[in-house]
Amino acid sequence: MINLENISFDHCIKCTVCTIYCPVARNTHLFPGPKQSGPDAERLRIKNPRLVDASLKYCTNCKRCEIACPSNVKIADIIQDAKWKYTRVFWFRPRDFFMSRTDLAGSAATMFAPLVNFVVSLTIVKLLMEFFLRIPSARAFPTYNNGTFTSWFKKIRGHQGGFKNRVTYFHGCFVNYNKRSLGEDLVRVLNSMKIGVDVVREKCCGVPLIANGYLTRARKNARYNIASLSEQKKSNSGIIVTTSSSCAFALKHEYANLLGLDNSAIYSNTEYITKYLFDRFEDGNIPDMKPVHIRAAYHAPCHLERLGGVMYTIDILKRIPGLDLVILNSECCGIAGTYGFKKEYYKVSQDIGQHLFKLIDRANPEYVITDCETCAMQIEMNTQYQVIHPVTLLAMALK
Amino acid sequence: MRTIETDVIIIGGGATGAGTVRDLSLRGIRAVLVEKDDIAFGTTGRNHGLLHSGARYAVNDLESARECISENRILKKIAAHCIEDTGGLFVTLPEDERTYHDRLLEGCRQAGIKAEEISAREAFSIEPNLNRSIIRAIKVPDGTIDPFRLAASNVLDAVEHGALILTHTRVTGVIVEGTRVAGITCEKDPGELINIRGRLVINAAGVWGQHICSLAGIELTMYPSKGSMVIIDYRINGVVVNRCRKPSDGDIIVPGDTVSLIGTTSKKIDYDKIEYLNVDDDEIEVLLRDGEKLIPNLSRTRVLRAYCGVRPLVDTPGKQAGGRSISRGIVLIDHEERDGLEGLLTIAGGKLMTYRLMAEMASDMTCLKLGIKAECSTHKQPLPGSETKISPKKHIRAFTGIPESVVGSTLYRHGQRVRNILKKDKKNYRIICECEMVTEGEVEYALKNLNVKDIVDLRRRTRIGMGPCQGELCAYRAAGLFKELGPGNQSVKSSQLLRDFLEERWKGIKPVLWGDSLREAEFTYWIYQGLFGLGDIDFTKRHGPDEGGDR
Amino acid sequence: MNYDCLIVGAGLSGLVCGIRCASEGLRTVIISGGMNALHFSSGSIDLMGYDPSGKVIQSPCRYLKQLEEKKPGHPYSKVGVKTVRESMEFFKKQCGLAGLDLHDNGEENHFHITGLGTMKPSYFSQKSVFNDRLKEAYERKDPIAVLNFDGFRDYFTALTLEQIRGLPLLRGVRITTGKITLPYYFRTERNLHEFRSIDLARVFDSEKYLPRIADEIKKAAGGARIVGLPAFIGIDNFGWIHRRLEDMTGLLIYEVPTLPPSILGMRIDRALKTRFADLGGELSAGDKVFGGEIIDGMLDHVHTENYGSTRHRSRFYVFSTGSFFSGGIRSEFNKIEEPILKLRMSGSQERSKWYSESFFDKKGHPFLSYGVDTGKTLNPYGADGKTVKNLFCVGSILAGYDPIREGSGGGVAISTGYYAAGKIISARKKADLA
Repeated sequence: MINLENISFDHCIKCTVCTIYCPVARNTHLFPGPKQSGPDAERLRIKNPRLVDASLKYCTNCKRCEIACPSNVKIADIIQDAKWKYTRVFWFRPRDFFMSRTDLAGSAATMFAPLVNFVVSLTIVKLLMEFFLRIPSARAFPTYNNGTFTSWFKKIRGHQGGFKNRVTYFHGCFVNYNKRSLGEDLVRVLNSMKIGVDVVREKCCGVPLIANGYLTRARKNARYNIASLSEQKKSNSGIIVTTSSSCAFALKHEYANLLGLDNSAIYSNTEYITKYLFDRFEDGNIPDMKPVHIRAAYHAPCHLERLGGVMYTIDILKRIPGLDLVILNSECCGIAGTYGFKKEYYKVSQDIGQHLFKLIDRANPEYVITDCETCAMQIEMNTQYQVIHPVTLLAMALK
Repeated sequence: MRTIETDVIIIGGGATGAGTVRDLSLRGIRAVLVEKDDIAFGTTGRNHGLLHSGARYAVNDLESARECISENRILKKIAAHCIEDTGGLFVTLPEDERTYHDRLLEGCRQAGIKAEEISAREAFSIEPNLNRSIIRAIKVPDGTIDPFRLAASNVLDAVEHGALILTHTRVTGVIVEGTRVAGITCEKDPGELINIRGRLVINAAGVWGQHICSLAGIELTMYPSKGSMVIIDYRINGVVVNRCRKPSDGDIIVPGDTVSLIGTTSKKIDYDKIEYLNVDDDEIEVLLRDGEKLIPNLSRTRVLRAYCGVRPLVDTPGKQAGGRSISRGIVLIDHEERDGLEGLLTIAGGKLMTYRLMAEMASDMTCLKLGIKAECSTHKQPLPGSETKISPKKHIRAFTGIPESVVGSTLYRHGQRVRNILKKDKKNYRIICECEMVTEGEVEYALKNLNVKDIVDLRRRTRIGMGPCQGELCAYRAAGLFKELGPGNQSVKSSQLLRDFLEERWKGIKPVLWGDSLREAEFTYWIYQGLFGLGDIDFTKRHGPDEGGDR
Repeated sequence: MNYDCLIVGAGLSGLVCGIRCASEGLRTVIISGGMNALHFSSGSIDLMGYDPSGKVIQSPCRYLKQLEEKKPGHPYSKVGVKTVRESMEFFKKQCGLAGLDLHDNGEENHFHITGLGTMKPSYFSQKSVFNDRLKEAYERKDPIAVLNFDGFRDYFTALTLEQIRGLPLLRGVRITTGKITLPYYFRTERNLHEFRSIDLARVFDSEKYLPRIADEIKKAAGGARIVGLPAFIGIDNFGWIHRRLEDMTGLLIYEVPTLPPSILGMRIDRALKTRFADLGGELSAGDKVFGGEIIDGMLDHVHTENYGSTRHRSRFYVFSTGSFFSGGIRSEFNKIEEPILKLRMSGSQERSKWYSESFFDKKGHPFLSYGVDTGKTLNPYGADGKTVKNLFCVGSILAGYDPIREGSGGGVAISTGYYAAGKIISARKKADLA
């Protein structure tokens, strides 16, 4: 039936621009491109749900089509929606289940982090996973922290209360379970600017759930997060920051456009961290920095581009003294969250990334900088460079 | 001059003419059909494509209601691929007269139409986009029918049974020998004169029948009434939604293929105006305003086109004039009896729903006149494409490798004939019209089998250029394919066909030129004028008369 | 935020404006929602192609001088012929710096061949579309072969051939058509017959198959000296590939714009965006400006979709938001408006006046020349009728000209964008001195 909410396909005037910028269609014949899978096909699917094309599943939801669209059509949303509304999915999908429950898997794994990290890196385990779970054995897995970010934060919470100006930090699963150091870096950077950090109880933002079709669950998480974040808003500066561009995108856009929830309470005050820092820097609140003497290449993640946030990150990076920055041409890395962890999409995912990896090689940096955790995984796996977050780089530059 | 000998000549390639030529051919009678433009060019192609259950007439015209429901059941069997059994609703809004609802139910009972009162909540579950303030609802077995496909399949079957079809052929005179009509003279598009001699002429020219009769020197008065409709970008409703009130403007929304149509207005017009119809602004306003009351989402949706047709009502003296109160009943005139002119029948009135019945009546009379004993079989014999039950799942599997949407759309349009169209050859299934999923194979099939003379005809057979972009990308491709695959020794340049096609599309776009339609038109203009300079080409050939927009 | 110049819309006019501002060291940002109309353009820049009677104009600059008196409301008349000339030179230079060489014909128009085989006058064309060697070859009446890749659905040589033979310039020239069959090495799993121009351009860009493609071209060309190909000879490395193909085949090769996406237009888009970034300009591509506030005749701030209540501030603003297509102007049932600030419009509110009866009417359509009304300095008027002093409108959002019928779209975009940048730069300098 017709979804009254997302009828943006109606505005499509068939200009074909989205097909130019689709990284999937560029690299595989299996995906006919966003125009055909989104607005064109939506009219057919409304006519008869049987007309749904199986090729839909190749969409990575990178949102590059939406950035390109001059008619404001939410192309990727239409495709995501159709994926789960019209195609029938078998209920028993252990791999998708575990991959989409990042918080569940994460809280278990962090308890035995060294063991988990070791086991997962074993070839035999990888082969078994490929056989039983269809997770490609060539895929490198993110390592787990020994202890979560939240448990670390508890220790310093009291200190944060000392700051008059505080922001809420939506750390997300990755910082919590896999990269605690990024969260620590953020606290250092903000503290150096006389800004405190609050952390609220949160659940996974829902991006992996949406990508794997667990929409009910995603809605549940979203409602929880909206309530929890808007409650905290009252007791500090009211601003919510994230260090994950995908979390930011979910909080701001996916909640309303894809899950159909009212996120107006957090919409306009949720910011990806560099936008927040940019505004503070503009106000003159710039931390003391020392020259870093680093040559780095910056890769802009797709979701941050969709958020219109890339220019803020670049601006922040340009302010770091001694940083020799190369801005890479905008290319998708191909991992698209859990997409690159699935055997059936692995090749497509790698092919998409090749253009970016070549650019990085040509730039020959010491570090690659990117805002997105999964982009970082993909780049680290496919190139020999170390990948860091802009906030980490800022922390490195602090005096 | 070419002369053709045959038994029966049928004038008019609308549903009635197409049905008659098929009926006669199935009975083994030689027949020639002459159409001045294209199959389903006139009134047949300019209505809302409702497969009536008869409920619409149940209050005022029981006879029509009975005809409708009986034809409804037959068509569902013989023309499955032209029909979608969507079901329909009659809904009462708070401002509507309450008693009409009960009268409708009673009328349906008398006519034998299965109408069922349902709760508003049930109505919403059937049609989620319905106005939430409706108070009563009736479920009826309405459906939708594609008139282009219906007429084309009838013609295709007739051709496969030996009939000759002459489209783009205008009747210039009726040959009268003494008190007998012996044939007609006509002119094929570029000045080629043809004499057709036959034992009987059937005038199935609809509203143009008045002109045909005048050529034979007799008088027949038609009562032209203009009906306008607008087309919405996508299927805004899944079932037919009727307003439960006395028939009036803007009281029905019909889902038809990928779009929805809001119908209809009714305006009396002069006979000399029937070639020059335009949809008026006030009609569009009324249709949108009233349509929105049925489905509120309409106000946020793009309007693709507006078009109008002429109802072919025969002004039978004695009956009360005044638009809708004239019965749409079938009129079969034996001119021998009425005017003392042998060899001429007129079949008129009626509606798209009863085209087969009209064809049967005309054919029965023909057999009587010619002394041939042959039974009608059109109520049993399925149309080409509807031979067996269509199972999308099976077909989609049979064509694995070709996108599901392509197989499904082709199947939807051509039924079983999909097997003559799709091949697992990549060039064959490449998409030419991206809005409606028309492939090169389908274009080729239409060009070779379905009597296509220009891109406008091609559109009626395939839906090319009927989607949201109205030909922005596909028109150029279609023109190119026409050059490559179309009928040889073309006297008309493909670029001219291209321009004529875009001009034809423009007729229906300009009355609704706002919002996204305007953006689309601007874009199309950039491409064809800005990029290609199509308007600068000087074609010395004249243009046809300015018809009101087509679907 | 403290920008010198905030530009809404990254089309031709916005980018030219941004490049000029950034090149003078101004802190410039462009906010752009969606790709620009260059993606559907011919990729040639027209300055003034036709007079009102539809006659082709030979020397556009001379014509513009007359226009200044006859039509003072035309954007060209507002910016003046001198600025128009300067801006065109500026544009050519900037494209050149980004590796895109343009051909000009002195100050005269030249012609390029379209996909339907008609000819269109233009002021600049890319070197692969028109150049001096081609001009000489046309004049010598060298035979021409119009080629296409077999199965490419967005270009048909047969349609070109219908018209091209009747062109006065090519009278007496032997013109043939031919097909380059997609050889086995092209045969991917993908349905080649659904390739768009961009897909083929990427194949060319990969440079892998050039010798083989060159062979095919030579074969298909027969005895022709000039070869026309649909425009997809590369998107990144087109200049080099074009030269390589000409060297390998020994033929002159020209490109013909096809159905969208237009590779020729995208090359300009890329060149300008590269230039803008190189000069330190900031581009936000995924956001849309939806509102703003005018205080005392000055635009104070604008809002974007992604940042809701955040106020984006700048000293000067430029709206290069385009026409109806790009959303710079919006139409409803019986209404046209400028959506961001409801700036004063020129054009009828009555729908029946917007269009001509026939689609290809010689006079075009009135709605094409609708747009925002501005004063002589391209400052628009707010809803209250007062001039907005720190806001400039440039490009096809402007009223008073018909980009298609006049053949002036590119020129107006470039010259108005350039002009607005000039105004901003000098105002900024004055402020610095003070």
